[in-house]
Amino acid sequence: MTIEKSQDKKKKKLYAQDIKDRLISIFIGIFALLWIFPIAWTLWSSFRPYTEIMKNGVLSPPQELGLFNYEEAISRMELPTYFLNSALITIPAVFLTLLFGSLMAFVVTRYSFKFNVALLLLFTAGNLLPAQLVFIPVFKMYLALGDLVGDRRFLYDNHWGVVLIHVAFQMGFATFVLSSYMKTIPKEISESAMVDGANVFTHFFRVMLPLLRPPLASLAVLMTTWIYNDFFWALVLMSTDKKRPITSALGRLQGEFTTDYNLLAAGAMIAVIPTLIVFFVMRKQFVSGLTLGSTKG
Amino acid sequence: MLNNISNREMDRRLILKGAAAGGLGIAGATMLAGCAPGDAASAGPVAFGARTVDENPTKQLQALVAAYTAKTGNEVTYNATESNAFQNNLSQYLQGTPDDCFQWMAGFRMQFFAAQGLLVDVSDVWSEIGSQYNESYKIASTGLDGKQYFVPQSWYPWGLHFRKSMMAEVGLNPDDIYNWDDFMGALEELKAKGLIGFIGVDKGGWEAMGTFDILNARINGYQFHVDLLAGREKWTDDRVKEVFRHWEMLLPYMNTNVLDLEWDGGRDMLLARQGGFFMMGSWFGADFKSVSDADYEDLWVIPFPEINPDHARDTIDAPIDGFCVAANGANNAGGKDLIKFAGDMEGVQAMLDTGVPMTSANNGQDTSTYDAFQTQQLAVMNEAKYITQFLDRDTRPDFAGPVVGPALQGWFKDPSSTNAMLESLQSQWDALPPLA
Repeated sequence: MTIEKSQDKKKKKLYAQDIKDRLISIFIGIFALLWIFPIAWTLWSSFRPYTEIMKNGVLSPPQELGLFNYEEAISRMELPTYFLNSALITIPAVFLTLLFGSLMAFVVTRYSFKFNVALLLLFTAGNLLPAQLVFIPVFKMYLALGDLVGDRRFLYDNHWGVVLIHVAFQMGFATFVLSSYMKTIPKEISESAMVDGANVFTHFFRVMLPLLRPPLASLAVLMTTWIYNDFFWALVLMSTDKKRPITSALGRLQGEFTTDYNLLAAGAMIAVIPTLIVFFVMRKQFVSGLTLGSTKG
Repeated sequence: MLNNISNREMDRRLILKGAAAGGLGIAGATMLAGCAPGDAASAGPVAFGARTVDENPTKQLQALVAAYTAKTGNEVTYNATESNAFQNNLSQYLQGTPDDCFQWMAGFRMQFFAAQGLLVDVSDVWSEIGSQYNESYKIASTGLDGKQYFVPQSWYPWGLHFRKSMMAEVGLNPDDIYNWDDFMGALEELKAKGLIGFIGVDKGGWEAMGTFDILNARINGYQFHVDLLAGREKWTDDRVKEVFRHWEMLLPYMNTNVLDLEWDGGRDMLLARQGGFFMMGSWFGADFKSVSDADYEDLWVIPFPEINPDHARDTIDAPIDGFCVAANGANNAGGKDLIKFAGDMEGVQAMLDTGVPMTSANNGQDTSTYDAFQTQQLAVMNEAKYITQFLDRDTRPDFAGPVVGPALQGWFKDPSSTNAMLESLQSQWDALPPLA
């Protein structure tokens, strides 16, 4: 009899768990729909002509569907130029951010000296400054440096100027994430490396860096998205539109007064492709990077 | 410059007279063009900054640039930026590595940058091509120091737009709408048919400024309007309250979602025949045309009705677009040479030859090629004696967008708040730092 009772209890428990799971699934489902709605709507809009929307409203049933917006977006956005610019800015910026960020995190977590916590705080705090607050001093500094070397386009109106400001801005976050992760790697590994006679560089490049692969991958995806999506710095630190990234090419689809939102939707769909590729290539690492370390207490 | 405008009467009819003598004007302009750019060969490569990526204006500008290169042999680098991005970044652009000459707007927006020494004095260009322009354009191109910094390209009027067929349906003859009473009568009839009489939009914060401008100019006159925007009159003045009293009379005939609609929402209401009158700049005719020729032919514009007989319909908002030379550009002489060409009838003709409709500021343009809607725009323009540039071009940039825009939006939420809003406007004007 006692066995029966306990089985009954188990069944009840299972049943309760089942309901819980279903509720959670519904909850997640609703959120997934909410998340997907704007993207689906953009995709839907990108197949419709703007004149139809002007005439009949946004919710009107479609009379004409097709890829014409994509054709026009591709011809007007001058994709090769702007994609190349985006690559010229994003790739070095992500690479340098991760390199400097991991070096920084390595030093503040593996070596104890007087200011290491203060240094980490400084880097994290710098991350909190909004770009709009500091862009004028940065702009003037770039011009002054340019005047100093005799070429105003030394940093201003130059890919490298934008790369540098992204590195400066994103490094705080990268350092913060990487140092938190590094703290979860047992100290013994570092100690045995030192006992085996590894110098600082061998220690970093041959021992720590391979262990950092998951957080580096997830950071790389995040940084790529952020830097790729930036429009602000490219706008204020460049004067030649042909040097600006793809976000500026999206602006080419807007009119001074009239904006063809359906065409813009098609352009946005095109611009999003590289970020999606980066995400899917690094997806495995991305997910494990987010959860790794979370179970180690 | 507002001072200058107010001290001079700008007779718009002179332009009409000039246009009437069209053949003569063109002949004169061509002769001028023939002898003008003599030193062009030494000007070297020029960089041109366009503040548009729109298809039609781009066609015009590239035709202009090509004609310039063909004539002088000077290479031109064409650097186009989307207009909003260009405008927001102009201060940095001009301080950094700007193009030699660029597209910009007349009035306060030009003077603001001229006063900071970021624009090149182009008075010598004006002494060569000035005879092709009416005095009012010269005034609009003049900085606070009395020198010219701007060469005009084109303009568009602000007026009451409507569909001819809709007015016919409700039995209204738009020609009969001359004064406020006629207008209110028309609105009443539209309302009786279950339509929105006066389309209101102000989500962008600037759309309603056009209605404020014209109400103020109609009720209190041009002089008071420019004095108010220049800070020589007070926002708390009873005359300004009168403007909002009239605006309140329009509210019952307006849609209630004013703050949910940007200007294009108003355009779509007109397209969908949901609303009667739409106070807006005439640029959107092109959108009607892209929907269908029939819709474009149905579109019409008239001047805002007379309210105070003393001022009749003597003022109009007609923003002027044109060109400036950047002081920090690499080749100031080349920039000047290019905008001289752009302002000269020869350059204007190159832009007109693209077939893209343009209401040019140059007296030499042959208005016989205008279509009916363009001719009507010109008629609306010519009825006015005084031109204003639009509120956000006629007053300080740090006052128009950040202060007046939200104030008008707040007023739409609570129209009984007129007095409090005007007091707040005045105190915010008083708190602005002096212009450098």
